Amino acid sequence: MEKFLEQMAEILEEDTVSPADVLMDFEAWDSLTRLSIIAFASETCGVTISAAELKNAETIEALYKLIEGKK
Amino acid sequence: MGLRFTFQNKRISGVLTVLPKREVAFEEEMGNYNFSAAKSMKLKLAMGYNKHRIVDEGTNVSDMCVHGIEHLLNEGLLRKEDISALVLVTQSPEHFMPPTSNIIHGKLGLNTNILCMDINQGCAGFVIGLLQSYMLLEQPSIKKVLLMNADVLSRKVSKRDRNSNPLIGDAACITVVERSVDACVINAIANMDGRGAYALQIPAGGFKMPSTPATAEMKEDESGNFRSLDNLVMKGDEVFNFVQTEIPPMIEELLKISGKAANDIDYYLFHQPNKFMLNKLADKMGIPREKMPSNIVENFGNASGASIPTNISFNLGDNALANIYNVCLSGFGLGLTWTAVEQQLGNLSFNKIVYY
Repeated sequence: MEKFLEQMAEILEEDTVSPADVLMDFEAWDSLTRLSIIAFASETCGVTISAAELKNAETIEALYKLIEGKK
Repeated sequence: MGLRFTFQNKRISGVLTVLPKREVAFEEEMGNYNFSAAKSMKLKLAMGYNKHRIVDEGTNVSDMCVHGIEHLLNEGLLRKEDISALVLVTQSPEHFMPPTSNIIHGKLGLNTNILCMDINQGCAGFVIGLLQSYMLLEQPSIKKVLLMNADVLSRKVSKRDRNSNPLIGDAACITVVERSVDACVINAIANMDGRGAYALQIPAGGFKMPSTPATAEMKEDESGNFRSLDNLVMKGDEVFNFVQTEIPPMIEELLKISGKAANDIDYYLFHQPNKFMLNKLADKMGIPREKMPSNIVENFGNASGASIPTNISFNLGDNALANIYNVCLSGFGLGLTWTAVEQQLGNLSFNKIVYY
């Protein structure tokens, strides 16, 4: 989880992020960031997540569980 | 496992790319997007956008194809009497009827002992057209096939759609396909999955939903892009995941059939949706990025099935006149369709870009 938080902070252009942070509330939350997360899941974690699944993940923690659940 | 094809004694003998004279920079259109300037610049950097070539309103596929073929005839690179088939792969037909290839035939005043056919295919259009050309050449009566990959889809993309507008390009490529004395084997694979048929589409304008004032109405989507039902629309995430999932195993299968290792291939000349997607694909396949050129979109835009021959003309250029390369060509997208061919490419009579 620690490493994941660091990687998400980089994608979301924040110094740090917490598991409870709501994705939609980030300044950088846009279609390009969403594509970056889909690409991150594919490249780094070897899993496929769709834009619809990403939309249902409200928080950083939910996103973590979505990706981990597919590994 | 995909549908497999094998051919012998056939070759590509020349590639001519016709590009529009009009070049538009990303920055010129940035103001159209519902995105801050800073975010637009981030988009440009991440996706590898820069400039693209688009036709003037009113320019059609036959104009660009005829311009290219007349250039070949005038330069003595092709003789009318050697043309046995015009195979046009396009998503931008001029009419529902007649076929655009017949219009091109008429404009050129070619002989009547010829076959004209339009193929409705997109990003995989070069490989699909090449397979069709090789199949035609199995008939002894066929001398040369002119494969044309031409699209002017910029006319169907909303200027206010940052998903598609920065990357769309227009082009017409003319590839001469003929028999060769050389027996070298060509292997290819094709796959289709119509369950993903609507991942890329133009919803209105056909028989099912004719264009009306209502279908021309611009509407905002959840990401802030404006487009109408008459415009091209793409589900970027589905296409991205499809490419990452399906292409690496297909190439692996093709190399296995061909009895080649990944590094026996000199160039992986793939369809280029955008630089981002292609670089991710090269990384996933473990292929050095210099063996898989990804610079077509930043220079000219993505002109669908024309992107592979544009890649050949731009990146191999004169080197493909004197040399012979082992190449792997792969087209993927609309349909959904994913295809690849492994063959030799070289000793071309011509390989260049002209402008219309």
